[in-house]
Amino acid sequence: MKPRPSGFASSSASDTATPGCVRRGTGSSACATIALILIAGLATSCRQNRAAVTPDPLAQAYDNEPDWSDSSKAVPLNYQQAQGKRVFYQYCVWCHADSTPAGPSNRSNLNPNPPLANDGATLNALSDDFMRNVITMGGAAAGKSASMPPWGKTLSQDDIEAVIAFYRAIAQPPYQVPARPGPKYSVR
Amino acid sequence: MPAEEMGKVTNRLRWIFAVSSVVFLVVLAISPIRDYLSDWRRYERNYVRLAETRPDTKRLLADFRPEIDQIWIPQMQVVDRCTTCHQGITRPSLADASVPQPFRAHPAIPHRVRDWGCVVCHRGQGLSTSVRDAHETTLAWEQPILPVRYIQASCGVCHRSALPQTPRLEQGRKLLATLNCVGCHRLQGIERPAMVGPNLTNIGTKVSRAWIYKWLRDPRIILASDGSVQVNGYENSDEPRMPKFRLSEKELRALSGYLSTLASDPIPAYKFDPSVVAAWEKRPDVIVQGETRFRQMFCTTCHSLAVTRAGETKLIGGDIGPELTKVGSKVNPDWLAAWLRNPQSYLAHAEMPRYQWSDQDLYVVTRYLQSKLTDPSLLSDVPKLDAPAPDEIQLGRRLFAEKGCSSCHVIKGLAPQTDFGPDLASLGGKTVSQLEFGNSKITRTPVAYIEAKITDPVSVNVAARMPQYSLAAGDLDALTTALLSMTGKSTTAGLEGLILPARQAQFRPAGTFGEIYERYKCYVCHRFNGYGGTLAPDLTNEGSRAQKKWIVEFLKNPQTLRPTLTFRMPQFNMTDDEVSVLADYLSMVMQTPAVNPASVDSQKLTPQMATLGKQLYEVKYQCQSCHTIGSAGGYVGPNLTNAGNWVNAAWIEEWLRNPQSLQPEAIEPHRDFTDEERTALTAYLMTLKQTASSHAGGGPGKGQ
Repeated sequence: MKPRPSGFASSSASDTATPGCVRRGTGSSACATIALILIAGLATSCRQNRAAVTPDPLAQAYDNEPDWSDSSKAVPLNYQQAQGKRVFYQYCVWCHADSTPAGPSNRSNLNPNPPLANDGATLNALSDDFMRNVITMGGAAAGKSASMPPWGKTLSQDDIEAVIAFYRAIAQPPYQVPARPGPKYSVR
Repeated sequence: MPAEEMGKVTNRLRWIFAVSSVVFLVVLAISPIRDYLSDWRRYERNYVRLAETRPDTKRLLADFRPEIDQIWIPQMQVVDRCTTCHQGITRPSLADASVPQPFRAHPAIPHRVRDWGCVVCHRGQGLSTSVRDAHETTLAWEQPILPVRYIQASCGVCHRSALPQTPRLEQGRKLLATLNCVGCHRLQGIERPAMVGPNLTNIGTKVSRAWIYKWLRDPRIILASDGSVQVNGYENSDEPRMPKFRLSEKELRALSGYLSTLASDPIPAYKFDPSVVAAWEKRPDVIVQGETRFRQMFCTTCHSLAVTRAGETKLIGGDIGPELTKVGSKVNPDWLAAWLRNPQSYLAHAEMPRYQWSDQDLYVVTRYLQSKLTDPSLLSDVPKLDAPAPDEIQLGRRLFAEKGCSSCHVIKGLAPQTDFGPDLASLGGKTVSQLEFGNSKITRTPVAYIEAKITDPVSVNVAARMPQYSLAAGDLDALTTALLSMTGKSTTAGLEGLILPARQAQFRPAGTFGEIYERYKCYVCHRFNGYGGTLAPDLTNEGSRAQKKWIVEFLKNPQTLRPTLTFRMPQFNMTDDEVSVLADYLSMVMQTPAVNPASVDSQKLTPQMATLGKQLYEVKYQCQSCHTIGSAGGYVGPNLTNAGNWVNAAWIEEWLRNPQSLQPEAIEPHRDFTDEERTALTAYLMTLKQTASSHAGGGPGKGQ
């Protein structure tokens, strides 16, 4: 026999119980009470399994990145941020981090020093549009150092959006979405 | 009943009618009430309420219908009603984390949620319209929602080839291959390699019975209390391939006894030239010389050694070969010299290259390995073991088959075993009732089953034959993801047509080049036409890139072009003939049609152009941010000090036009140079030539 979903159990009980009480003729109040109990039971059975579960955000995340300023913590990443992490570790990490998969970083070689990817104090003030422009057209085009090359022909638009999302995710202090869109072509 | 009373409605009957009418009314009302109170109607009402509080109410409610919403993909037999409750899933304005579930928008992914629905990736029961039935395992519904950390498994169901967007799945597939799971199990998309574990036909000539005993008891795997993997007590990120088998003292004695007698086909011990031995035997610096040679040959590119720096001991070096910190206490000296001369004579499928050794080098390096890389206490906790008794050997031989050893290890004369463990090619698609939980206390879900099985096989089945792996947490997640992606032949037939198969092409050249290529195992580190390792540069287009003269020089004395690399090409001590065959083949065959040597007009590469190129290099494009010339510049790109002697001008031109067309994973940004700029930069780079004297200064031995 095919097992029935448990939600149906109480209504099938009411089908058999109601005629039974009529035959015994114990009076209408008892029948009404039983019916009321059944309805109440139904209502509660619908409410079960609704307890709010708060899952661990890291276990629920697509990927995660260790917090750069505190190695005991990790930042959960969604799909887009995780793609940003991949692109970052292939193209950007060499100059925008102090340690790289290959060991030493190129950051100290450059003048001016490029900002660290998690440097919220500097980058949180930059609008998404400005970040997009610097990455796509290079530092020189946005009035910054020419050491930052243009990536517009190397990375896809999605990659660039993902990298920005990744930067926002790991920023310390944390990035807050601004109430109004920031300027496109300047820092402030 | 009297006749006159027939048809007369008594009061009693009236009551019965009245009450039963009410009861029937109530019973009839149950269904609409249940419907009204059902999960999905409640969520739809809440969605409308939420939409009314948002600024874009009109847009959010534009195509809202108060009924069950369904995505139907007939060719995949997918019916997906998730969007009935998850109303905001495609609304970008509901992407914010403050929007309560189930109404939040889905984060951006490459597939359109409207086209594919939810269950194709997240699993669960698409047909169901109650929260519990859709997400959990219930009596009637067997496929629970996939935890998000395993979600990449669903990508792997169709995308069988490597996918850069799913690092966890890639790591898991790689682990399944490197941990040799195919020794015992059938896995989807992973072929059984020519050699799984080492061939043990002559293991008795290599190591002692005591060492085998110790190895079988703790095969180097120690999981430290903090969860890190340790090899020989040193922290390591890689999992040793030999797992821990649960063996009793008697079984350990029997197996070690049996294996130590195996020496049916030994490789002859190498006889050193007596004059070399006489000259070096008594020299006090023989070990220092051996260590210098060991480092100069860059053995650490493949083998790691424990190094203590600032009080912290770590394994430094590559992971292609075994770590060698205690190898001197492990192997027999005669075996070591014979192995180093010709590894393939002992193990036909060994990945170690066959170096050209001089007797002197071989002598000093073996002396170094035997006297410096030792640990006198390595075997101190092994009980005293005498020559094995015949019944021990007999039992050992039986255990070798019973424990599944012969699934991975070959012994000449013993039939090899395949499929010792269950077929896992469709494990990821199984439902709860298809899995054997027994009396275990594991949560009844497929995911919990896989997790428990690879964490601790005994927790699922007390009599499990599967050995114990001690995997780091990240590796566990990766392996579970890869196993979940193996759904075998899918029940959703339409899916089969959508699967993107993995491409596997072997590059096995013939002729003299093929022999040298096999001898030095070039493909272990380099990639040729999509086949081979990824440790070293892809040589598919090497003939278009490098000048032949440079290839010759490099093969004779390999130097790294990238200062940050710790792994460098070993010195093979190739003969001049071998070098010229390799250089000829690489420069003639390994070419790309994208680079035409005739395309560069050398007349155009004038000194004036070079001067302009230098300006562009230093000021406009600031190439020195990433590339070094001489002693100044960045570490990211290759050193260009000797570019004029190294690269072909046509390659530079094409590279500057579009680096990714020549090497898709290149990190050099693709820029918009004008034709003139490109020629100027090429002219400048071709003038960069290192003089012979400065060249000699950068030879091997400078260290990492």
